[in-house]
Order: sequence, then C-alpha cells, then structure tokens
Amino acid sequence: MGNYYIPAKYLLSHIVDADIIIPPFITAKTIELGSKYSPDFVCTPFKYTLGTMIESLEQGASILIQFGGGCRYGYYSELQEQILKELGYKFELLNLVSGKANIKRIYKMIKRIDKKFNIFKGLYHLYIAKNMVKYMDRVDDYIRKNVGFEVNKNSFDNLNKEMLDKFSKVNNPISLYILYKKYFHKFKKLKINKPKNCLKVGVIGELYTLMEPFSNYYLEKELASYNIEIKRFTNVNYLLFKNKKTIKKALRKSKKYMKYKMCADASSNIYWTKYLCNKKYDGIIHIKSSFCTPEIGSMPIIDKIANNYNVPIIYFSFDANTSEVGIKTRLEAFYDMIEMRRQ
Amino acid sequence: MNCYLGIDIGSISTKGVIIDDNNKIITSSYIWTEGNPVNSVKKLINILKNNLDKKYVVKGIGTTGSARKLIGLLLDANVVKNEIMAHAIGTLSIYPDVKTILEIGGQDSKIILLNNGIITDYAMNTLCAAGTGSFLSSQAKRLNINIEDFGPLALKSNNPVKIAARCTVFAESDLIHKAQVGYKKEDIVAGLCKSIVLNYLNNVGKGKKIKSPVIFQGGVSKNLGVLKYFKEILNTDVIVDSNSHLMGALGIAILSKKNSSNKIYDLNIQDVSFDTKAVDCGGCSNNCEILRIYKNNKLIDIWGNRCDKYIKN
Amino acid sequence: MKIGLPKGLYYYYCKKWVYFFNELGIEVVSFDTNKEILELGNNVATSEMCLSLKIFLGHVVYLKDKCDYILIPKLNYGIKDQMCSNFDCLYDLCNNLIDIKILTFDSKKEIKNFIKIGKELGFKRNEIKRAYLKASIKYNKELKKLKIENINKLNSSNKKILLVGHSYNIRDKYLNEIIDIIKKYNVEIIYSDLFDDDYYFYLSKDLYWKYSKKNVSSVIFCKEKVDGIVFLTTFPCGLDSLVNELVMRKIDKPYLNLIIDDLDSLAGMETRIESFVDIIEQA
Repeated sequence: MGNYYIPAKYLLSHIVDADIIIPPFITAKTIELGSKYSPDFVCTPFKYTLGTMIESLEQGASILIQFGGGCRYGYYSELQEQILKELGYKFELLNLVSGKANIKRIYKMIKRIDKKFNIFKGLYHLYIAKNMVKYMDRVDDYIRKNVGFEVNKNSFDNLNKEMLDKFSKVNNPISLYILYKKYFHKFKKLKINKPKNCLKVGVIGELYTLMEPFSNYYLEKELASYNIEIKRFTNVNYLLFKNKKTIKKALRKSKKYMKYKMCADASSNIYWTKYLCNKKYDGIIHIKSSFCTPEIGSMPIIDKIANNYNVPIIYFSFDANTSEVGIKTRLEAFYDMIEMRRQ
Repeated sequence: MNCYLGIDIGSISTKGVIIDDNNKIITSSYIWTEGNPVNSVKKLINILKNNLDKKYVVKGIGTTGSARKLIGLLLDANVVKNEIMAHAIGTLSIYPDVKTILEIGGQDSKIILLNNGIITDYAMNTLCAAGTGSFLSSQAKRLNINIEDFGPLALKSNNPVKIAARCTVFAESDLIHKAQVGYKKEDIVAGLCKSIVLNYLNNVGKGKKIKSPVIFQGGVSKNLGVLKYFKEILNTDVIVDSNSHLMGALGIAILSKKNSSNKIYDLNIQDVSFDTKAVDCGGCSNNCEILRIYKNNKLIDIWGNRCDKYIKN
Repeated sequence: MKIGLPKGLYYYYCKKWVYFFNELGIEVVSFDTNKEILELGNNVATSEMCLSLKIFLGHVVYLKDKCDYILIPKLNYGIKDQMCSNFDCLYDLCNNLIDIKILTFDSKKEIKNFIKIGKELGFKRNEIKRAYLKASIKYNKELKKLKIENINKLNSSNKKILLVGHSYNIRDKYLNEIIDIIKKYNVEIIYSDLFDDDYYFYLSKDLYWKYSKKNVSSVIFCKEKVDGIVFLTTFPCGLDSLVNELVMRKIDKPYLNLIIDDLDSLAGMETRIESFVDIIEQA
C-alpha cells in the first residue's frame, strides 16, 4: 500500500530471520488476477489484495501476513485463504486482523517463524518502525500541500524516493530522526511557486482507495497538476495510533450530525467534512471503492453537511475496471467549477 | 469578419458550430462519429467550410467531448475543455437565467446546477451506461423499433410498464421478460422512457435541488417520451431548445472566442494525415498502452504513460 | 401514545420490544413492506445502498406522520458479535435525512435499554421491570416454540430445503414472494435464523458477525439432513458476499444463490427456482 512497505519490511527483516518478499507494486496485472478469482460483489480492495497475494506466492513466498480490520476487511483473509488453496498454492497465512491482533498471538506467531526471536529487540525495532511511519506521514503531508506548485518537475517525487531509500537503511532511532530533520529541511528548500490564496481541496473517503495511488488512478497527482493544495487525513499513522482518539473527537465535535460511532472511518469522515467546511476549503472529494458499505452509510450525512456549508463535493466510486478518461473529465470539471466559484 | 469554431466530439455523434463575434450561430452541422473521431471531424469541417461565407476568417477553435484532446491536437485548438463547462457556457448564452441543466448523452449523463451564471454544483453518472442514449438505442434495436420512432410511440401509451433500470444487465433481462409476457410495445417503450427518467433522478440527480428554469439537452432530449416523463415527474416545465444538441459545441466556440489571439486558423485539413499508433510499453508489468500521435508523419505527442520510463527510453 | 417500529433490519431482532410496549399500554405501529414503502425508500436512499436498507428507510418515512415516536436503536453486542455496518448508521441516517422524533438506545446490557426508553416515556422503574419480565417470558416462549417447529421439519418425509438469509430478508413480507414460489413445490423450508450460533467455528474461525454465525451454524447442523440449500441475499450485501461465498466453497450440497436487486425484476427467479427444485427431486 503506497510506500508503507518500507517500514513493514524494515520491521520484519530486523526481528525475524527469514527472507522477506516485498509484494510487487500493484499493476494492471494484479487487478486482472484479483478480479478473476474474486466473488461478484466484494469491494475492490479484496480484489487488489488477492491479486497481490497471488503475485507474491508466484515469487516463492511461503508465509503471508495480513494486517487490518475495521469493516469486512477483517474477514477477507479466511475467504482468500480458501480461494488460494483451491488454486493449489501451498502457504501459511498469518492473520493479524482486528479482534485477533493481541500481543500474545503476535508473539506466538513470530516465534513460529523464528525461534530465536527476542521480545526486547522486537519492541526496539517496532519503535523505530513506528517513528518511521510517523515521519513519512509528516513529509507526505507537506508534499501534498506543496507539490502542485513545484517549479522543477518531479523534484518532490525524486527527493521523496531518495529519503525513503535512506530510511530503509537506518538502524537506530536517533539517526532516523536526524535523517528526517535533514530531509524535511531539504523539502522546505525546494523551489515552489505558491500563491497565497491558492485553491484548496480536501480528500476523504475509504482508506484503502485513498492510500493506494494505483487504485484511485493517481487522483492526487492529477489534482496537483491543477495547482491545488491537497489535504488528506487518512494515513497509517492515523489508522494505527490515532484512530480511537479521532473518533472520540469526531463524536464530540459533530454532535449535530452524528450520535453513534460508525463502522470503519465513516465517523472520522463526517467530522473531517465539517472541519474542511469550517476551514473554508474550496471543495471536497470523497473517494471509495464500490460496495464500501460503511462509506455508503455515511455519504448522505456528508452530503448534508457540505450542502449546509455550501461547499462543493464530488464522489468517486472506484472499481477495478473504472474508465480513467471518465475520472479525468470529472476532475477537470470539478476544478473548473471551484475556480469559477472563487470569482 | 471574425468567426470561431466549436466542435463537440461525443461517443455517438460529432457536432460543430461556427459563431460570429456576437455568439450568433452562422452555420452548424451534426454527423455520426461511427467510432472514428478523426474522420468524422474531417467530414464535419468540410461541411462547415462549404457553408461558410468567404468573408469570415476563423480566429479560434475549441474542442470538447470525449475525444477533445485528440481532436484538439489535430486542429491545433486554442481551447480544450470538458463537456460540463462547455454545456454550461453554451446554455447560458441562450438562457442567461437557467438554474438547472439536465443532459443525457450517448455514454454519460449529467446534471449542472447554476446560480447567477455560475456553476454551483454538478454530477455525472457513475461510469455505467445504464439509462443513457446508447442503452436506449440498443434496447430499441432489440424491440426492432427505429430510434426516431421511439418518442412518438411512447406518447401513445397510457399505461407504462415498470422496468427496473438501475443496471443495464438487470434492465435487459427484465425487458425481455416483459416482452415475452405479452405487454404492448408502446407500453414497454413508454416504460423504458420513464425508467430512464427515474434512474436519472435517482442517480445523477440524487440530493440535487432542481429549480426552474430547467433545460434538457443531449441526444436523448430529442426523445419526446423521455421529455414527457421529466415534465410529469419534476412537475415543472422543461425546456428543450431546438439547438439543444449543439450546446456543447456552442459553449466551446464561445470559450475559444474569449481566448482567441490574432492567430488565423486554416480549415483545410483534408490532406493532413493524422495517425495514432499504440505500443505496449513493457517497462513494467503495468504494460501501459502508449499512444504515439503523428501529424503528417511527425511525432507530436505521447499519451498513456503512467510514469516517465517510456519517454526516457 | 403511539410508537412506530419500522419493519425492516433491526425489527426482526427486537420483537421483544413489541411485547414490552404492549405491556405498558402503548400502541405499536408498524406495517408490512409494500410497494409504496419501497418507493419511499428509493426516494430517500442513495443508489448504492442495499435493498434491505432502502426498505428500512422507506418504513421510517411511511411511519413519519403515523406515530409520536419512532424507535431506531443501535444494536450493540460487543466486538465479537458485530452487526452489519448499516446497523451502526441507522439512527444518524434517519436523524439527518428524515424529520422525525426518534427514541434510541445502544447499550450492551438489554435491561438498561428498556429502563432508558421506559423512563424517557415517563414510566416508573418497577413498572418497566415488570413489563420487561413479562415481555421476556412471552417472547422466549414463542421463540422456543418456533425453534422446535423449525427443527422438527427436518424429520419430514418431504424434500427439505434450508433457506439461508438474514431475518430481515427471509421474514420480509414483500421479499417473501420469492419464498412463496418455493412453497408451491411440495418441499419443507427450514429457516436459518432460528438456529443458535453453536457450530459456526467448524467452518469459519474468524467470523465475527452475530447473525452470520447463526446462518453458518444452521448450514453445518443441517447439511446432512436437507436436500438443498437456498441462499437469499439482497444486492450488494457486504456480509453475504464473503460469508456465503466461503460456505458455498466449503460444502458439497446442491445450492442456489438468489440475489435480489430490485423487486420489479423477479422475472428470472421463477425459472431458476423451478430448475433447482427439479435437481433436488431427482437426487
């Protein structure tokens, strides 16, 4: 999912003695494989993850690890395991989805992969990986705000690649911190040409589609090409460490629209909509994969808030075979509209 | 005298207008795209050129519609814009106080809400052809009816059949069933028209406040049956302009006028050779289909690459 | 006073409330699903919502002017017995989209909920408790009877079909048109929602949806005793898309997967059911 394979690989390669195979980047072939073996109306992330699993197994993986949870994502692995077994693959699936991911279970699992596993060493590297995610998300946040105004094409992208490459080689928290500071400084020095009252757009929605750029057809890149500042809340740091806090805050701050906690990120999205409206963003883009039930339940409420504040909002529902041209037309029109409203 | 050309290349038809400095249409034309936008545009421009008085010089060209980018390159257009803007601008030039534009075209349908001449909200169908023109024409073929007779036939019915039109596949099986059970043809046709309206309002128009004056355009607006049910269900008057199919082309012509410089365009493009060659990149397993665009055998653009690997090589 | 209970989704899991309100002398208003309700639902709902949710919203709109309050709870059975995510947003959806007065509760402890609602309606604590006890006894008695009847059908000499689906689908009057088609053939129908969730882990260890557990358990309990299984799903149900798929892959019994998208298109169903029954009869 995006660049997050770097901290994940870091963590695994440091705590267990096993070959770690990084799943290949998601490509058109991944989806084709995934869709072919998926049931009819599962949501799109199911297809992507299934495709990735097949590709990893083809490369010789014998143990698959799956994290996640919140909605029906938590139940994916059981069905996927069955599908893969029917296809004749031999493997072991370590399932760390919600409700199952307690410390004891994880410990047992790691012990099974590597008998020499040392818990203190594990915690130490977990701490580094956690920080890595935090720094990456901070940098990403800055990139999103400014990449639309870069003077030299791809300057942000290249620097980010360089930083991630360096990140993957660190081995203690202090050098990681120094690296982060150094590169953040470099990012700030990159030339940008940003007007004071540029167009600002918030992107909210379902987490997988938001974070895996391939599955949203590089929507953020497209937006940046229109010189728009982008705000996105969902990232791994939020999902792993700030989720509960955000939802509590969401329930408190948007009482008028919401009483109960909803499934997955639906409540957070409602709160963020209100936040974006209050901060006078020019527009909101809501993206999700088709059949994402939690978001379907929250969309009418999000729509109501946006209407009350008179902020334009568009919805994208991505499937594995969505037409890219259609998305570009809609985005272009959205840009034209928010620009027209400004005048 | 100055004039400006606007071309709207849709999936089914290609529309072109030429306007003068006062946004008045001098000449217009409308032909089928037949899956080949380049040829149809050449044909269209030939027709327009022959109808154009010699005193006019073309000062701007704009393209819109699904093939806008390609044709924009071909004609060296000064404005290439999406259909939503073009439709809104075009309609505003004739009905300055319009509040709602309903549009159902060949492949997609949209709704545009305006206030004081500014687009305040819009929505498009969710990338599925249910309830659009191509759906209607394929169903007409199935029922063995000329698409032109569809509207008048629908008006004859007093008792439209209920058809589930949420999804093309479901609708088709439902339609077959209804036909086999022995419903009258006009009732089925009327049912189809009604289901298109319901489907449109439930999908594209969901949650949008439709205020009059309402203008209905796009290819399907020529269908009297659909128009009738729009009026009936919205309970308000729905205007269909006699030029409703040209609004996109008109809008883009106006936009090109606004952006025009002193450049003079030549409409003699019959001899320009224009080719696109598709190559598989093969740089990674994405295997992007790269389109290389040649004008007069000179490479002028490359599309379809997700990264810059291909261009570097 | 009149309290409206929309006959969709949660209703079928909260029948006790009907008895409870009756004990307290409150009139309960609810209607069977009909065409008008479905259309009302379609007008409020977005197109991507599942049919069951559309029906529910239709009920709420239909009840709007016919009662003083409408009861819309958030059912909460804890993290290991989750409900479909639609249940979590019912209250907020209705509160935002439809202008009504809502009574609601969300506690894990059943009795707490009854006391909360009872007090909001101005009753005394012991009145509420007495009504609750009476309602419980009545409800449990009835449930037990239904369960026994259901299991006894397994001993019938007719061909037997296990109908797997959520209560709010297989009990809905309008969706029942499909079940009526099955009933025309001389077969016994065994309902999956009258089983306990004792056996599901033989088939799926990770399952965490309360009512899917019952469905899976019923399949395991009955698979040797019935002749065929019919899965009834509304489009696009998130739970069933995974759970039913897994069940279908793991059992070897003739099965039929019926997916309902729109009630106007029952057309193809008849043929499919007919041929399915034919297959069972021959076996």
